[in-house]
Amino acid sequence: MHGRLGSRLVKELASGEKGQLTHFNDELLNEVIKECSENFLALQSLIRKMQEEGLDFQTTRNADHYGALINHLSLIRNKRCLMAYMYNRAEMIQNLAWTVGLRLFELPEEIQEKLSHLEKDYFKRHSAALESYMSKVDLNLNVWMPQKSHENGSESLSVGLLMTKVHLSDEESEGFGNNILLSVSIDNVTCCKKSLIKIVLINQIFKANVLVSAKDMVPPKDPYIKVRVLDDLGEGIVVSDKAANFARHSMHFLKRTDAEPYISRVFLAQQGLMEELTG
Amino acid sequence: MNDTSSRNGKYFDIDEILIEEELVPVVFHKSANGVKVDPSAEKDCVDEGAKVELPFWLSQELYLRQAVSINVPACFNQKTRREIQADAANVDLRSRCPYFYEFGCKIAPIVGDRTIGKMLLSTFQMRYKDILTKAHTAAYAVASKFLAVLTKEETNLYEAAQSSMAAFKKWRIGGPRIQRASVLGRKRKPID
Repeated sequence: MHGRLGSRLVKELASGEKGQLTHFNDELLNEVIKECSENFLALQSLIRKMQEEGLDFQTTRNADHYGALINHLSLIRNKRCLMAYMYNRAEMIQNLAWTVGLRLFELPEEIQEKLSHLEKDYFKRHSAALESYMSKVDLNLNVWMPQKSHENGSESLSVGLLMTKVHLSDEESEGFGNNILLSVSIDNVTCCKKSLIKIVLINQIFKANVLVSAKDMVPPKDPYIKVRVLDDLGEGIVVSDKAANFARHSMHFLKRTDAEPYISRVFLAQQGLMEELTG
Repeated sequence: MNDTSSRNGKYFDIDEILIEEELVPVVFHKSANGVKVDPSAEKDCVDEGAKVELPFWLSQELYLRQAVSINVPACFNQKTRREIQADAANVDLRSRCPYFYEFGCKIAPIVGDRTIGKMLLSTFQMRYKDILTKAHTAAYAVASKFLAVLTKEETNLYEAAQSSMAAFKKWRIGGPRIQRASVLGRKRKPID
């Protein structure tokens, strides 16, 4: 049946758990591409046949015309399925850069092995583009790299990255435009209400170190939080100029900005290194 | 790329693609060579008058070119309608068509059956209340059974109702807000 395989490919995306990558299905992808070439060959031979019979294939409406039409539609449909598969995966891969890490080796192994060779390349280039953007606007958007102590004292900004959108046109999904839309909400001591400002503006207005959290968009009630250590981190870690013994299951009262990277990020272990305690 | 879906910006939408994969019974008015759509045909062709089930994306285009006529798909037949009239909330719509409403909206204008639209609206109205109530009250064991009869859209509604309630509770009592990246999954390392 025409287009059946293509829809199977898309179904794979839909059936996976939300936001979770599945293994790149090389095999099925190639089968769909093979079907595309079959459609194309059938289309060509039908048109050739009509030309040999001396018919004008623009206006004739015979069995060959409808056969060619069906093959043409199947080809377009398969193309759409293939594009959707790649596009939706690419979106997830872009998100990895924001939520997990900018370097390929920072991704856990089980995610890495789900990516195809081209997707890994895409991830690297996307990260490189992000990095060059960050250095251009002189702004570090990483959630996982604790900044130096804030120079302006009270003016610590927590900027929530609400969305990043890269506009891709259907045909040219390769290079993406420079139309990156960043919505930013600020909370701090001086301006308590949330406001939306372009990220570039902020950098010009506030010459403070900006820490961007990709997950927590709500202003914190308390700069300190209670955390429990989930893994043995030892004594090697210095937070806020003080060393503490982060033994497994020990509890600490830490500055939120210090603890954040250990909670939201997964290192080589399968889980965060700390969790926030509440209640 | 001039099909309708690309114009309204849903070209890459997974659900949109899967809706259009739903099968529609059609009757061919023209014959066509070199295609494998009729499983009963001996050769790779369809004859005039052949009754075949085609996916929506294909039947719609062929219908616009007057090559086929479209019949009402099985999920909107009289039997289903009678069941819905009897007790809408308990009809298993998912097994009939996981995109019952969206597919219905797409098929209604070309199938020439004016009652489909009304039927969809009344079905949704009857089931809506039930879904929202159950989202807040149903116990986990019952919920999984109930979820199995919902269409995709209804499942989204059910989850939205639950997550908004959960968010409300979280807002009231407070809770952890920094969490690990969701893409990494929920797996925890076994305690050794």
